[in-house]
Amino acid sequence: MSKPSFVYVTYIQTTPEAVWNALRDPEMTKDYWGRHRNVSDWTTGSAWRHEDYDDASLVRIAGTVLESNPPHRLVLTWASPEKKDDPAKRSRVTFDIEPFMGEVRLTVTHEDLDDEMLRGVSAGWPAILSSLKTLLETGKAMPMTQKRWPGKS
Amino acid sequence: MTARKPKFVYVTYIASTVDKVFEALTDASISRQFWFGFHVESDWKPGSPFALKRGDTTMDSGVVLLCEPPHRLSYTWHPEYESMRHERPSRVLFELEQLKGHVKGQVKLTVTHDDFDDDSKVFESISGGWPLVLSSLKSMLETGSALEPTFSEEDIRKIEAICTQ
Repeated sequence: MSKPSFVYVTYIQTTPEAVWNALRDPEMTKDYWGRHRNVSDWTTGSAWRHEDYDDASLVRIAGTVLESNPPHRLVLTWASPEKKDDPAKRSRVTFDIEPFMGEVRLTVTHEDLDDEMLRGVSAGWPAILSSLKTLLETGKAMPMTQKRWPGKS
Repeated sequence: MTARKPKFVYVTYIASTVDKVFEALTDASISRQFWFGFHVESDWKPGSPFALKRGDTTMDSGVVLLCEPPHRLSYTWHPEYESMRHERPSRVLFELEQLKGHVKGQVKLTVTHDDFDDDSKVFESISGGWPLVLSSLKSMLETGSALEPTFSEEDIRKIEAICTQ
């Protein structure tokens, strides 16, 4: 039986380049992704990590860049740093960024989850991606994603 | 083992109030602004007819199941398109929650569309449609302008190819 996955689609009035940059720009992620940033050189095979914006020693998620095709597709492995060698706790996230009739369709696919991880990411992605859309369209992210998540810091 | 019935759930957060989101979902002229020229039509009393129309043409019909402004709205959903009208009605539920504390000024909107038969074509169709409609609703309420897809010549060719199948 295949493991659960989570898919979220949102349409944003912007360009694929702007979405691609927003995934990597710490000044943007700190506002729409719970005051964290994503660090890597973003080439296929490189390591990446999701760390606290103010304290780089607090790494929340770590993995490998499986595919990097700017500005259209980014595929990452995804795990808590202490569990990244446990295949059962390693998942995969794909960002597909496509032009769609003058807008951008962003599809986030999070695969190879277990039930606990599915619950967590099903709550997290809609908040992060709603705020990303708001940031790109209005210049200001939503308040709910500008602070660290409760219970995680 | 229980068979898993098709069920679509979508959560979006909107910088707005539950009253404004509820009004947008139930007012004909506001719905037309974000629903790509479609509009809702109903008196919103439980048991009353619901319709999603384009001009005078009914695209989807249904019955109001629940209307509790500004927190819950539910209706049945039956496409009138030739290719889908043989399916029995499914069910849509909108749940609106005003967030509190430092996140006030934001609404959590959860749309649940379920009660489909297995292999429902309508399920495939709405799974593609709701993210577009709800993205447009969010843009309209936050920026004043809904999504306005512009059709390229390639898009028009794709649509023509589907229509002539």
